[in-house]
Amino acid sequence: MKKICVLLLAVISFAAQSQVTYERIVAAASEPQNWLTYSGRYEGWRHSTLRQIDVGNVSRLSMQWTFQVADLGQFETTPLAVDGVLYGTGQNDRAYAIDARTGRTLWRYQRHLPDKVRPCCGAVNRGLAILGDRVFMATLDAHVIALDTRTGNLLWDVTAADYRQAYTFTVAPLVVKNAVIVGVSGGEYGVRGFIDAYDAATGRRLWRFDTVPGPGQPGHETWAGDSWKVGGAPAWITGSYDPDLNLLYWPTGNPSPSNYGGERKGDNLYSNSMLALDPDTGKLKWHYQFTPHDLYDYDATQIPVLMDATWEGRPRKLLVQANRNGFLYVLDRSDGTFLSAKPFGNVTWATAIDAQGRPMPNTALEAGAEGTQVCPGAAGLTNWFSPSYDPATQLLYVATSNQCDVFTSSPQTYRAGHDFLGSIYVPDPEQRPSGALKAIEVLSGKEKWSFPYHTTPNGGALSTEGGLVFGGDSDGNFIALDAATGRDLWHVQLGAAIYSTAITYSLDGKQYVVIPAGSGLFAFALPQQ
Amino acid sequence: MQTAQNDPVPIRTLMTMALIASLFWQAADARAPRPQAAKATNVAEGRSAFRTNCAPCHGLTAHGGGRGPDLTSGNWAHGGSDAEIFRTITGGVPGTEMPANVLDDGEIRSIIAFLRSLAPPVHQLVGGDPGRGRQTFTVGAGCAQCHMVDGNGGRLGPDLSRIGAARAVAYLVDSIREPDRELSSGPVDPNNHYGLPLPYDTVTVVTAGGERIVGVARNEDTFSVQLLDVDQNLRCFLKKDVREVIHERKSLMPAYPENALSASQLQDLLAYLVTLGRDRREPGKDQ
Repeated sequence: MKKICVLLLAVISFAAQSQVTYERIVAAASEPQNWLTYSGRYEGWRHSTLRQIDVGNVSRLSMQWTFQVADLGQFETTPLAVDGVLYGTGQNDRAYAIDARTGRTLWRYQRHLPDKVRPCCGAVNRGLAILGDRVFMATLDAHVIALDTRTGNLLWDVTAADYRQAYTFTVAPLVVKNAVIVGVSGGEYGVRGFIDAYDAATGRRLWRFDTVPGPGQPGHETWAGDSWKVGGAPAWITGSYDPDLNLLYWPTGNPSPSNYGGERKGDNLYSNSMLALDPDTGKLKWHYQFTPHDLYDYDATQIPVLMDATWEGRPRKLLVQANRNGFLYVLDRSDGTFLSAKPFGNVTWATAIDAQGRPMPNTALEAGAEGTQVCPGAAGLTNWFSPSYDPATQLLYVATSNQCDVFTSSPQTYRAGHDFLGSIYVPDPEQRPSGALKAIEVLSGKEKWSFPYHTTPNGGALSTEGGLVFGGDSDGNFIALDAATGRDLWHVQLGAAIYSTAITYSLDGKQYVVIPAGSGLFAFALPQQ
Repeated sequence: MQTAQNDPVPIRTLMTMALIASLFWQAADARAPRPQAAKATNVAEGRSAFRTNCAPCHGLTAHGGGRGPDLTSGNWAHGGSDAEIFRTITGGVPGTEMPANVLDDGEIRSIIAFLRSLAPPVHQLVGGDPGRGRQTFTVGAGCAQCHMVDGNGGRLGPDLSRIGAARAVAYLVDSIREPDRELSSGPVDPNNHYGLPLPYDTVTVVTAGGERIVGVARNEDTFSVQLLDVDQNLRCFLKKDVREVIHERKSLMPAYPENALSASQLQDLLAYLVTLGRDRREPGKDQ
């Protein structure tokens, strides 16, 4: 009888553990053995308190297993780690669950995509969200789906938008309470952007926030004529959330067409903005626009990092973002008050951000015969890949690019489902693009150290309490740096560009670090003693 | 735009077209359609579509970029009729970097209208002799020490087996007279979707012992560099083990000014180079 009770308890315990509740995600920091949401926790830190792998032993890291997703293209996923199982996605809307100890497959899901999906930049997907016994995925054909965590079976499937008009999803959803929140892609095709919330149980849409206001809505006046109808402002990176303020922070991308503004005179709200939304209703609480009337493709789709700190003598709830336009912004996240913006690399499009938070355009920009050289280039000083934030040091670790582009601009007729860029940009031929992983003091904006990458990066940063920052470069190197100094402590060549950012979890008392590269997930840990 | 850079797939798009495009100049193809009286609006749209989809490889003005050939030569190695160019754009060219493209018919037609609108090239060939040019290439000027053609020659510079089909004469002249002006590019890493091709610049590795090894980079990353040195040996280095890796934005190829290569020798050499990469088929006939 006693044995049966123990067994029963074990079963109950397993069942309880395998259910990821909203409360567990809110308290994700208290279970560092898991990785429950895209950035590891709602605050967008991508920082772990695990410390088994540290500065002294990281050089002994060795590969534990590899999982092949078996598809080509950019592998941008951030897997979730939940009680011994990893849940991830792959190119062309693949999803899978694998044994986090061995990399062995538990199930696979492959979406049958129509031929005419139009993702701008590869058939990518950045990951899943989890709640209860289901994982959620936003798909390239603009659907949102729920899969069973134990079988991969499709539980519900809803259409969010028309893929034939180039609406796509690449984002990893964010679960808040019972809502699965997603933002659309398609800023290269003149979509009208939105952020949606769906009921996790049924797939019913709970609300939609249009990122380009329609007639009668505040902000509509920032679009000339009918330009709002094809205004872009997609929302393709996962937002952050403050449970105490009950505010969802979701950034938006470029106005369409990205490189020609002649038909869309005005600030073009809410492109390139940070939106603070009520996650229960989708109502806008405040907004801040980083790059009004953008001509350089400066999507603001970078992770919002939420932190509390003393700012000019008083405690404030801050939102920090290293923006693609080259400035590190600090806002008060309770009301959106602009506090500061400082460049973290070579910026020429604006000379500064004024006290009201508005960029001061650089009137000295000179157009050459073939266009205008602007820094940063369209790839930005950084991009969608995650930064990490270490609360102990108040350092933000940001992968950066050093590349200027030559921009051209010309009118373009909108055609549904087709490229709508308004000309193009090419790399400055006089410059060899490069990159760096930088440690930046969040409050002062000062650079503490910089580790050079040979080429511009597409992978972000993971920091840990072991005093480490893990980065990945576009030449296939997965790298561990000393978080205090930026010194290279360990690296391994994985044979394909890294397009994502590492996660870490712990199982059987062993800390793992997992990174996608090529079509493989690679898991590293310390060798057994 | 969602990712770090503009998607290079369209970038590569017209590249093959340029391959196709190059010189067949004399063959200036009786069959090739006359430039059509394209509507100005089509040309403007085509220019825009060209910039978006083709310029990253073929250059903003279609005169060729780091990877894509010149599309203004007026001659088309893979067929110069509207239908043939259309097919090249939609289907790509197997075995080259020119991919198949998903563009709608109107966009493609506007791109063709734009290409037709470009000024025809000023022909710089004035009757050189290809046979003498070949001699100049292999012996006189020593080009073959570094450049390979159809499996013969050196390895340090780009393989020129298809150069006649890839570049306009003006580009060839610049490359010979002033090789530093625009560096050629090597292949793109297929595992790095947003990567740029390696330039044929001069790289010097200074070893810990002070030895200077000069060559072109076959590859390089944050931690290592792989060279083909001037003796045409592959040399691989860890950056931590060497004193310095120096990039000079200049070509290893020496310049050939008039006192090194006379105007008539240049014409002969060009006459030879433009034959390289010609299809074996009879010009102007479909295969």
